[in-house]
Amino acid sequence: MTAKAPPKKKASGTLRDFHEEEKLGQSYDATLFRRLWPFMRPQGRLLAIALVMIVGVAALNLVRPLVMKAIIESAQNAQPQDLLTYGVTLALLVVGIQSVSFAQMYAMQIAGARSMADLRAHLFSFMQRLELRYYDRTPVGRLVTRATNDVDAVNELFASGVLNAVGDLVQLVGIVVMMLRLDARMSLIAFAALPFVALVVTFVRRRAREAYRDIRVKTARLNAFLNEQVAGMSVVQAYAREEAMAAEFDGINSEYRDANKRSIFYEAVLDAAIEMVSTVCIASILWWAGLQRVGHSGITFPLVVAFTQYIRQFFEPVSMLATRYTVLQSAMSGAERIFKLLDEAEVEQEVPPPAASPTKAPENEALALEDVTFSYKKGVPVLRDVSLHVQRGEKVALVGATGAGKTTVTALLLRLYEIERGVARVLGKDLRAWDRRELREQFSVVPQDVFLFAGTVASNVAMSDETPDLEKVERALARIGALDLFLRRPGGLEARVDERGANFSAGERQLLAFARALYRDAPLLVLDEATASIDSDTEARLQAALEAVMEGRTAIVIAHRLSTIRAVDRIVVFHRGRIVETGRHEELLAQGGVYAKLYRLQFALEAERAEAERASETAAPT
Amino acid sequence: MLAGFQLALNRIDVLSEKAIDDVFGGAPEQVTGPAFWILVLAVLAFVGRVASRWFIFNAGRDAEYELRALLLHRLHRLGTAFYRKMSAGEIMSRSTGDLQQVRLLLGFGVLNVVNVFFAFASALQVMLTRSVKLTLVSFTVMPLLMLVTRNFSKSMFTRTRANQEALGKLSDVLQTNLAGVRVVRSFALETRERRRFDVANEAYLEASLGLARLRGLMGPLIGAASSVGVLAFFWYGATLLLEGAITRGAFFAFWSAYIRMMWPMASLGFAVSIVQRGRASYTRLKDIFEAVPEVVDGPAPPPPRVDGEIRVEHLSFSYAGKDESTPHTVVDDVSFAVPAGKSIALVGRTGSGKSTIAMLLARLLPTPPGTVYVDGKDVCDLPLSTVRENVGYAQQDAFLFSTTVARNIGLCLDDCDTEASTARIREAAAEAQVLEEALGLPEQLDTVVGERGVQLSGGQKQRIALARALVREPKVLVLDDPLSAVDAKTEAAILDAIERQAKARTVVLVTHRVAAAARCDHIVVLDGGRIVDEGTHEELVTRPGLYASFAEEQSAATELEAIDVDQVAPEEVVA
Repeated sequence: MTAKAPPKKKASGTLRDFHEEEKLGQSYDATLFRRLWPFMRPQGRLLAIALVMIVGVAALNLVRPLVMKAIIESAQNAQPQDLLTYGVTLALLVVGIQSVSFAQMYAMQIAGARSMADLRAHLFSFMQRLELRYYDRTPVGRLVTRATNDVDAVNELFASGVLNAVGDLVQLVGIVVMMLRLDARMSLIAFAALPFVALVVTFVRRRAREAYRDIRVKTARLNAFLNEQVAGMSVVQAYAREEAMAAEFDGINSEYRDANKRSIFYEAVLDAAIEMVSTVCIASILWWAGLQRVGHSGITFPLVVAFTQYIRQFFEPVSMLATRYTVLQSAMSGAERIFKLLDEAEVEQEVPPPAASPTKAPENEALALEDVTFSYKKGVPVLRDVSLHVQRGEKVALVGATGAGKTTVTALLLRLYEIERGVARVLGKDLRAWDRRELREQFSVVPQDVFLFAGTVASNVAMSDETPDLEKVERALARIGALDLFLRRPGGLEARVDERGANFSAGERQLLAFARALYRDAPLLVLDEATASIDSDTEARLQAALEAVMEGRTAIVIAHRLSTIRAVDRIVVFHRGRIVETGRHEELLAQGGVYAKLYRLQFALEAERAEAERASETAAPT
Repeated sequence: MLAGFQLALNRIDVLSEKAIDDVFGGAPEQVTGPAFWILVLAVLAFVGRVASRWFIFNAGRDAEYELRALLLHRLHRLGTAFYRKMSAGEIMSRSTGDLQQVRLLLGFGVLNVVNVFFAFASALQVMLTRSVKLTLVSFTVMPLLMLVTRNFSKSMFTRTRANQEALGKLSDVLQTNLAGVRVVRSFALETRERRRFDVANEAYLEASLGLARLRGLMGPLIGAASSVGVLAFFWYGATLLLEGAITRGAFFAFWSAYIRMMWPMASLGFAVSIVQRGRASYTRLKDIFEAVPEVVDGPAPPPPRVDGEIRVEHLSFSYAGKDESTPHTVVDDVSFAVPAGKSIALVGRTGSGKSTIAMLLARLLPTPPGTVYVDGKDVCDLPLSTVRENVGYAQQDAFLFSTTVARNIGLCLDDCDTEASTARIREAAAEAQVLEEALGLPEQLDTVVGERGVQLSGGQKQRIALARALVREPKVLVLDDPLSAVDAKTEAAILDAIERQAKARTVVLVTHRVAAAARCDHIVVLDGGRIVDEGTHEELVTRPGLYASFAEEQSAATELEAIDVDQVAPEEVVA
């Protein structure tokens, strides 16, 4: 340790009050179990086997003290032959108990893990059908927690063997019966201790449970605080708040420590108390046996040994039952959160198409929006009465300032969101009449931030194909004039692509996205151009690629480059959710309206730079 | 305490021997004495056991507490160079997982080693005095038992890690899938994603079953190892009993001692591996404890007062590249000066180095010595607290803590709840044009922001961060692009506020907005880390260059903003 920890003052409590665990309502265990059952049913046989084995283990455990007794009896009666037999029996019994427990536990774990994998898969499918609006307002982390941590909490039902409670009960009853049969009066001494043990166990367990809950809350708070400190380190340093934050952290840190200390105390008391009671029981039995021996009753040494063993085994299930109840509770609250998600969130609905389309789609129409209005947030329309018709094979550029509604138009065409008012058609068919998947397969999308998967160049171009058609990949890359660029990499088409394509430049990622679009060969192209500046060599390649991809396709381009707006058939200008102008570049520029201003804002600088470059190139002696 | 506890157990064994011999020997009536003493000792053992665990585990928790406090203390002193090298996730994993391992070493590890020592002494005394031969026979399996638990504990650790990794992988798959939900849907990639998920789900299933197998095997393995010992004991012990070499009481006492040694022996194996792991974790923690802070106090005493005159001379700065060999120069030979109470604007595109300069002024990055002067004194010579107190820096990405709005704004105040503080907070919020909106929140200024509270817009966060900087009233106010997410109307109001601020202090404004720069006394234009031009707004707009083209671009944007969409007739677009 190189430095002294900062001075500790009482925390002022700035941040620490706000990380409390979510409180949950009363869980209705029976209902939750009924809902979990469909996931457990396929594992029904394993569960049944496990249950049978649990009872088996409990039974074997009951026999053990009897065998011990037999050993000592045979020793007393001088029967070495029996001694050996019983000795071996005991050893086999112990190993047998352990092995069956293992088989039982493993069967249970398999059943549990498989059920939970199914539950996770169900959650995953559910999330794939959740409306995008839900994602707009829910942090992704929360959804991930449902499918990981919460499912794991439910899995504890199997992993920590809550169902073994059955075995505990069997064992408890069995031991009582056995003890009564061995010596009824001696048993009463042991049973006399039972209320005391039960009292201690319930008392301590309840306290311990509170302590554990406290620890969980404090741990979450501790980690959240530390995480925030690391994330906001520059703010803490800039405002010289190190001391104050350390003092606050000290409050959380010491609360965490104290909560743990409480649980240490209760754990220690519980274990030690049970041991103490069992010793006291044994002592009382010896004492009582002594008194009885005075009267020459039939208490033998082997009996005392067997009895002592029963007493040792007696208190174990009592204390286990309490533990299992705690696990059950946390599993149920996990299940509750999961089912709450499944109940509350909206899934993409199939909207019935309008009975009769009011207007018949024109012969040659590729895309159409008619008086479309849409808003992400109620009352704040992003698109207002937008109408746009695009013919097959036509190339249209959408331009406008940030937030003018360009990207929303493409999102609606892909039916990522449902339009609020108006009519939209794709390839002559009403949007709502399309199956979402089929609809999206009609589109090749080149997004602004190209999304590359970890894999190879080929698998990224082929994307949705299980095994990429290498020839087709090659053709696509050649068509956009980038084959040489990618073949130059070691590994060629099989070159590794890191997570999110981190080992490729922005330009290369764009080119891959174009190749992807060609490989997919869908009739409609949606292209959101990247705003990032790209070196002039790649720029030229992208220009060629763009033309190759657009050829023979209907294209909607959210344009950010001058070369693109010059290459399209028509420019549609968006301003605050409306289409305000439309036409070709020169016409619009001459109008001196919104487009002319946009041009000054977005493209003029680029034009200037290109001009300057050309000038310097021609000026330079070759 | 442990010694006392084990001694009590030892005595219980001896007493029970006497009791049994009494009961089954000639004098059953004498049993009351030993039985009574066993009772007393049982209570003593209880106290001893609770107390020993309490003391040792608490010591572990105390150590954990100290280490964690120290950890944060060290983290507070480390700068960007460290945070570039070690990710937040890595720091968190060390401060949770590794710290736990060290705690286990100090608590459980120590308890076991000490306990096993006493347990050995106490049990062995009973056993050896009863029968040396029986002791030897029953002891044959002890080393085996230890070996089993040690190896078991080791592979348990690796399996647990593998399990954690599989879970991490599964979370990653989910995280990317859900974060990229638009891409997945636009490309109709559901099948592919399903496959990826299934693979990860299956891998996690396998990993958790692997862990379960191992965990489950522990029982049978330890059981088998120990039952060999029990078997040996019973068989040989019974023979001795038969021969009359030992009494029944001795047999009972021996058995009892033997059983109570079994667990400490087995757990010694666990303890050994916990000690190993704890040491490995401690070395990982040392990476943080021993990291050298790059920004430290200067030798000069704190000056009695600071006026806020800033001079920058030939300032160059480069970030270490991904591999050490390629440093990436972001600031290249920059010089400028601001008299106390005046304002300066640093203007440039993204990546022009303007934000880096701002951070260097407050020594939030390792400022090279002899480049930045406050009141003519090198900032590297001054105490860090003096620099940070007087050079207030409000950063670009407004990081807010998940606490109330009021406490975020009053971050630099020691107590946010006094009347004076509340007044200052309100005043600052009003200056930063965020008071009205803050009062509109569900619990007004006491609304919690962030993950568990109300989500604020980028502009709101930025203005709260600005208010936070204003509350501080430093001599030099460095504002790093405080308006990037704010609309034009609010911008004008905030600029008025900044202008008022500038009357009382030196202001360094980092911006790409001409409207903001225009209000400063002096403007420095940066491109690629170098100063390409400087002067007043009036001078700069008249000569062609970066600044003039910025002005042109932004006036177009303003005009565009001003177009009322309802004035322009929406057109039906038909090809």
